[in-house]
Order: sequence, then C-alpha cells, then structure tokens
Amino acid sequence: MARFGGLRRRLLALARPRGPESLPVRFDRRRIYVLPTRFGLFFAALLAAMSVGGLNYNNNPALLMAFLLAGAAMSSLVSAQLQLSGLSVVAVDAEPVHAGRTLHLRVHTRTTDRRVRSGLKVDFDDGDTVPLALRDGTGEVVLDVATHHRGWLDIPRLRVQTTWPLGLARAWSYVWPETPVLVYPRPEALAPPLPIGSGDPAARRLHAAGDDVHHLRNYRAGDSRRAIAWKPSARRGTLLVREFEQPIGTDIDLDWRELHGLPHEVRVARLARWVEDAERDGRRYRLWLPGQPPLGPERGPAHRHACLRALALMPHG
Amino acid sequence: MADPRARPLDDDSRRWTLLVAGVCLLPLLLQLPGPTALAIAATAVVIVALSWRKPLSVGVRMLLAITIVIAVAAQFGFNFGRDTGCAMLGAMLALKPSETTTIRDGRSLVGFALFAPFSTFLLDQGPWTLALGLTGALLGLGALQRLATLEGEMPSPGLWSPMQQALTVLAFGIPLALAIFWLFPRIGTPLWGVPDRATAKIGLSDRMSPGDWAQLLSDDTVAARAHFLGVTPPKSAMYWRGPVLSDFDGRTWRRGDNIGLGARDHVQPSRIVWTYTLEVEPTDRTQMVALDVPLAAPAGTTLSLDYSLRAARPLAALTRWRMSSSPPQVMQSQLPEPQRRRALALPRGYDPRTVALGRQLRTRLHDDRAIVQYALDWIRRDFSYSLDAPPLGRDTVDEFLFKTRIGYCEHFAGSFTLLMRAAGIPTRVVTGYVGGRWNRLGGYWMILRSDAHAWAEVWLPGRGWVRVDPTAAVAPERIYDTVGEQLGEGGVLDTLQGPNGLAQVGDWLRQNWNDMVLGFDADRQERLFAPLGLKRMTAMQLVLAFGITASLALGLMVWLTMRTPREQDPVLRAWHRLGARYTRIGLGRAPHEPATAWAERIGKAGSPTARELQELTARFTDSRYAAGVADEASARRLARDLRAHRPS
Repeated sequence: MARFGGLRRRLLALARPRGPESLPVRFDRRRIYVLPTRFGLFFAALLAAMSVGGLNYNNNPALLMAFLLAGAAMSSLVSAQLQLSGLSVVAVDAEPVHAGRTLHLRVHTRTTDRRVRSGLKVDFDDGDTVPLALRDGTGEVVLDVATHHRGWLDIPRLRVQTTWPLGLARAWSYVWPETPVLVYPRPEALAPPLPIGSGDPAARRLHAAGDDVHHLRNYRAGDSRRAIAWKPSARRGTLLVREFEQPIGTDIDLDWRELHGLPHEVRVARLARWVEDAERDGRRYRLWLPGQPPLGPERGPAHRHACLRALALMPHG
Repeated sequence: MADPRARPLDDDSRRWTLLVAGVCLLPLLLQLPGPTALAIAATAVVIVALSWRKPLSVGVRMLLAITIVIAVAAQFGFNFGRDTGCAMLGAMLALKPSETTTIRDGRSLVGFALFAPFSTFLLDQGPWTLALGLTGALLGLGALQRLATLEGEMPSPGLWSPMQQALTVLAFGIPLALAIFWLFPRIGTPLWGVPDRATAKIGLSDRMSPGDWAQLLSDDTVAARAHFLGVTPPKSAMYWRGPVLSDFDGRTWRRGDNIGLGARDHVQPSRIVWTYTLEVEPTDRTQMVALDVPLAAPAGTTLSLDYSLRAARPLAALTRWRMSSSPPQVMQSQLPEPQRRRALALPRGYDPRTVALGRQLRTRLHDDRAIVQYALDWIRRDFSYSLDAPPLGRDTVDEFLFKTRIGYCEHFAGSFTLLMRAAGIPTRVVTGYVGGRWNRLGGYWMILRSDAHAWAEVWLPGRGWVRVDPTAAVAPERIYDTVGEQLGEGGVLDTLQGPNGLAQVGDWLRQNWNDMVLGFDADRQERLFAPLGLKRMTAMQLVLAFGITASLALGLMVWLTMRTPREQDPVLRAWHRLGARYTRIGLGRAPHEPATAWAERIGKAGSPTARELQELTARFTDSRYAAGVADEASARRLARDLRAHRPS
C-alpha cells in the first residue's frame, strides 16, 4: 500500500472538490465516486471465474447464478451511490480549544428527499470513521481533529462514505469546508502568578491585605472555589461567596510590553495562561497587545474568548 | 486507526455466514459419493463446534487442511478429475469456518461458499440443484448485507430485514441478469476441455464382459429422450444402436479400432424414414446412440465404419441432435476380407465346447439362416432370462451355454455371437438401448439407462448385416412389453395413476427444464430473434442487441432503485399525490408553506376547486395535528376524498 501512496495522493488530489468551498454542499453525481472495495474486487473475480467457466461448458445454471449475482452487485453499486446522492453538508462548527487539545468538529447534514439512507460514515482521509445516522432528514457527527498551532485551522477535506448495501463497493464524496476554525494558543505550562493589579497605591495595598470582606452573597455558577466562605456557608446551610471590595485599581493589566525579553511565542503562551488564571479567579483584566486598543477591563466568557481570539491571531513572530 | 473490516463478528452474523456456507455446501454434498459427503459434513460440524468460542491455531488449521486434502485425494484414488476437485472444494469449505472471526473473514467465507454451488452445477444441472444453489446465493447476499450493516456500525438489524434488502437488491438486478443471460454472446466451442468425472456415470461403454451390466440395468434414470417428427416406429423396432463390439478375447468384448478396414459400404435404406430429435443426457463419453442406422451424421459427430455414431467431444452437457434414420434393406452387401476375418475371429484357447458345437452345426445344417434359426430355437427352449445371473468361470460362454443357461442380454448376445462365429457366420455384438417409455405428458420417448441392451448382427450374403436378438427369443417382454404404454391412450390422470406415473411427470418437468434452461446455447442464441424475422444473428448484431438490452435493463434498475420508498400512511400518501396534481398545474405547495396557507393562496388565485381544497385541508390538518379527533374510519374517508379530488 505504501508503495502506491504517492500515486494514491496524486489521484486523490484530482478528486472533486479540489479546494475549500463554502457550505452548504449538496452531493450530486459529479462529486460522488463509486469504486469496488477490496472484497468487491474479490467478488468480481469470483463472478468472472464463474462466467468464464459457465460459458466454456455452456453451463446455464452456473451462468444464471453468476449473472444474478452480477445483477445484484450492479444494483448495489447504484444503491450505494444513491445513499449519498441528495445529501447535503450544511455546516461545520466547533468550540475553539487550546492548541494541543482535540477539537470536536461537528458536521451537520441534511437530506431533502425522503429516501432512507444507511451505513453512512464520515471521516477525514485517514482518520477514524464515525457513523452518521440521519433522523427525520438531519444528522450530525462529531469528528476529532488534533490541533498543534494557534491561529486559524483549515479543516481538512472531509469524506462521507458508505459501503452499503452489500459491502462490494464504496461510494464516497468529499466536502472541503471553507469555514476555518480558530485554535487558541497553548497556555504556558509553568507560568509565574498573575501580575499585581494596577491602579492607585492605596487600593493596591488594600488588595494586598487580601481579605477586606465587603459582604457575603449567594453562590453563583462560575464563582471561583477559592472565593467560597466555607464557615459561614456551613452555618447558614447554603453556599456563600465572599465578595471583595474591588476598586477599579485592582484590575489586572496583562500587558504584552511588560513581557519584553521573552521569546514571541512564550509571550503569547504566558498571556493565554494569565487570561485563564484571571478568569478562574474571577478577576477583571485588561489585555494589551501591540498595535491594538486594549481589551477590557472585563471578565466573563465573552471577554475570555475575545482575548484568546486576539492572542490566537497575533502574527507569528 | 482501527480497520473496520477487522471488527469481530457478532454471534448472529457468524451464525448467518455459517448458515450460508452450509446451504451452499449442501447441493455439492448431494452430488458427491456418499462416504466422502458424510465425511465432509462431519468435518464441517466438528470444525464449527471446535472453533465456536475461539478460532483454531494456525498449526492445527494447516494440519487439518493437509489431512483432508490427502484424505479426499485418497478417496478418489489420487485421480484428479472434476469430482476430486469438487470434493476438495467442499472439504476446504468445511474447514474455512475454523478462522471466521472478523468481518473480513465472514466475507471471504461467503465469497468462498458461493463457489460451491457453481462447482455443483458442473456435476449436475437439475432444477433442485439450481434451486438449492440459488437459495445459497440469496442467503449469501443477505449475509453480505448484514456484514455491511455491522461495518456501518448500525444497530443489529434482526434476521428478516437484511434478507428483505438482499431480495430487493437481487430483484433490481434481475432484468440485467436476464438480459446478460439471453444475449451475452455465447461461445460455440469451449476454450478448454471438459474435465472428466473421476467416477464415471454409468453409460454405454466400449467394452462388455460378463456381469458388467447388472448395475447399468438397474439404473432407472433417463439416458436420452426422443421426439419423433412424423412417423413413430413400433416399439419392437426401436433399437438404438450404440457401440459395436467385434473383438473378443475370451472374457471381454471390445470395440476395437475401426481404422484400416476399407471403405464403408453403402447402406440401402428402406422407404421408411424416421425423423426425430434426440436429447442426450451427459455421459462424459463420446459414444452416441442413434435409432437403427442413421442416414447421415449430424454436425459434430462422425459415423464409424460399423455405423455407430461418435461425437467429436465428450457429451459432458446435455446435447440435442436432429437425426433421420431408416431400417436398412441391405447393410454392406459386400464384406471386405479384413472385416470378415475380424467378424469370424475366435479367442484362442477359450470355450472349446462352443467352438465344437459351432463346427458341428456348420457341417450338419450348411445354410447360414438355418444355423441362426437353430440357435434361436435352442435358446428359446432351454434358456431363461434373469438379471440375477450366477457368476461364470473361465470359459464364460461354455459355462453359460452348457451349465447355467440363465442370464440377461449380454450373456445371450455374447454367447450367440461366439457360437455363430464358430459356425463360420460373421457376427458381431451391438450394444445400445432398446425400446423406451412413452411420456404422455410431453409426447416423447424416454430411453432409460436400464433399457440398455446387447444384441447380435450376423452377416448374410445378399442381406448384409442383419439384426438378431437372442434375448428376444427368451424374454420377448423385455423388448415388447407394452402393457398400458401404447401411444395416446388415456389422459393425464391415467398417467399419474399408472405405473411410474410420478416418474413420468417428473421427467416431463425435467424435459421442459432442459428445453428452457439447459439447452440454451450459442446456436439457440443466434436463432433467438427468428420469430421477429431475423433468421440468424451475426456476432455484431448480437453484441448490439446485448448492448441495447443491457442498457435498458440498467436504466430500469436505476429507476427502480431511485424511487423513494412508498409512504406508509395512506392519508399522507393521498395528500402527497394531491399536492403533485397541483404542482402539475403550477399551483404546487412550497416546502415551507403550511397546508392551510397554501389552500388560501389557491383560493386567492381563483381556482374553482379552492373551496373544496380548503375543506379537505382543514380535515387533513385535523387528522394530522388534532390528537384524538380522528378515528380510523374518518381517516379512511379522508384518504378516499383526497384521492378523489382533482384540481382545475
């Protein structure tokens, strides 16, 4: 197989589509390929042997059986093509992840006609196959994509295939979504703690004392575990969270410029780590990147995504 | 990356593939000799039982394979013919389940199994074999379907659903299959020879020695069928001549070679001519039979010097011949010297008493005819007919004529011939069949293997070779028994009730089967369109017809496959049909449009049927969406009204 790798790659490069395309994509006969599987070739050889033998001896039962099987095989080829024909890939999407994590790419498919489709599978050219079941004309599969680098990830060519109904032929079609998916930078593994918040010195000292409790409030989803006041919680029988007085000055400034001296990618990684840390601690933070207005101060998922996105899109140094 | 083909089979799939192997193996086993078949069946059962939980190791499998190959070869005496090949295949198929664990194994088992019915067809082409073979093939498709389901990681489909899908796939393939079957150009002459059966089917052979025929005479299968066109000969004249045996070594009569015996003398045919087609069951020999003396050799056969027919190649498949025969008035009026010497030759040192009797007859009676008559009278008086003849010693003829005096045709024909030769009359043994059974259903004569017969031909000056049947002298019923078998007597019911009634019906079915399915060959194919005025198709025309028909069949297949499945709910089906009728006049419902909105739009468009449509739509939406409102009767009414509605 390896010897034919080059040839195979060249042939695959000829297959439609030859470049990324915008979704939705509907499979029609111009982009559905049907070729016998290895078992299909074996089966064809078997039928050829039977037919030649039958013709030679003018053995009509043998010929009849060989031709019936050939007819069935032929109709299975047509049938395999029809499993795909009329199927559309309407969208792909994924939650962004940090580089190095697995991206879960969702592929949404739909059919317009009422034909029953069976045995569909989706994969990348050499990845794990995932079965695709259609219910009421729509179906969704999740494919795992390994990520290595931050920035836009071009989704490789997807393949939707089936060997249904007899396993003699594989019908497949490629779809190459143009939709790029963003991969966030890999956070630095052993990063120094968050920088001290900026603002007026008094406020800074106040924050340094660390436990100037303003009041307690009820726990809300997303609150940091560190902020939970365990003793009052135990007394009241409900989870309470310490809310610190947070003067403007205690916002954290995550500044690209302050990290001079570090290599470019380490700076990106460290800022990514700090964004995650600040978010975990429930602190407000502002991200300064070169050539851009500062982001924030703010906190919450939207801000986190905005910051990580900006970091992911930093030009590669 | 896990290869999906290496996924293990679940128990149901495994059972299924084993069932396919079993059903495919069955017709093959039925054709193989009993002990071999039993041994293979037992092996298969043991192998399946042993490897059910975990596959056998490679070493054990190799050992088994080698053992069974040697065992099968030994069974057939290391004689590698068609039977041996088929038995080997059966044995290997019995071994194959020992390694069936993954989808790939399952598929290769099914593929391998499908080869078994094919090889069975080389041995037998009967309707039952075909039925079993096709059942195996259909189950095989079902198994492949099931394996594809497993590979597609779909939920286990149960038993019936893959079968149903396989049937569908097969049904869609049938038009194409039949187009190929009728029109795919056949070849007139085989590309390679027909392999011999290692265990020969009983048929007329080139030799005859005492006791040989007992088996043949108890075989009630059909050897040939004859359709007479025009005059049918009386049964007493139905002597189907086969091999003529003129060499005798004291034990065995042989055909001898016919070369170098001089030019063939002409036969003077009588005015009676019988025209018939002869359908010959396969025998794997070249020897043919023909009624009395054929007037000409049909294409593909040669007429020997002794007027017996031989085909150019072994009759491995069913063949059909059109022939004309005539009882000769004079057959070879001049006997060339080498032929005469041969027809008078006596084995040296055998049967002294017979030779002495012959000499004595010659001196006493002088006339050839009188000698023949004397011998026949003697046989009629002192001999009796039985298939259960006692065994004979060294001087077979002496012992038969002077001691046992009981036997069947080969004893009578052989002894009579030797006696005549001793008396100086050129004589030879002719073997073949005599008579036949009238099949009233099909209107043809069945010639059974048990009708095999041997008689003598004596050469008389002025008459040439004359047929003398000494067996008829003792057991005329053997040749003339015609109780209830006369032509055209009684109806179909009588046939069923009469002797061998069911056998007759069976053979009639079989004959039709031969006619429709087995007898189709290159020649019949070329004449396929004769009813349409196309006398004989050339290869080019055939290819063209094949191309066109195959394309049409393919188109039909695509159309059948592409149809969306039929809607199950009658109301919904009627609703879709109604929508389609509106689409035809340009007022179709858009996919996003609710039913009521659509009906309103039709109303605004000013269609005269809009009011009725709106009413129907209201009832339709009620029946679909207002739970509990609709009962079955109203649903039926609604479906009926939807069907009746016509837009205008």
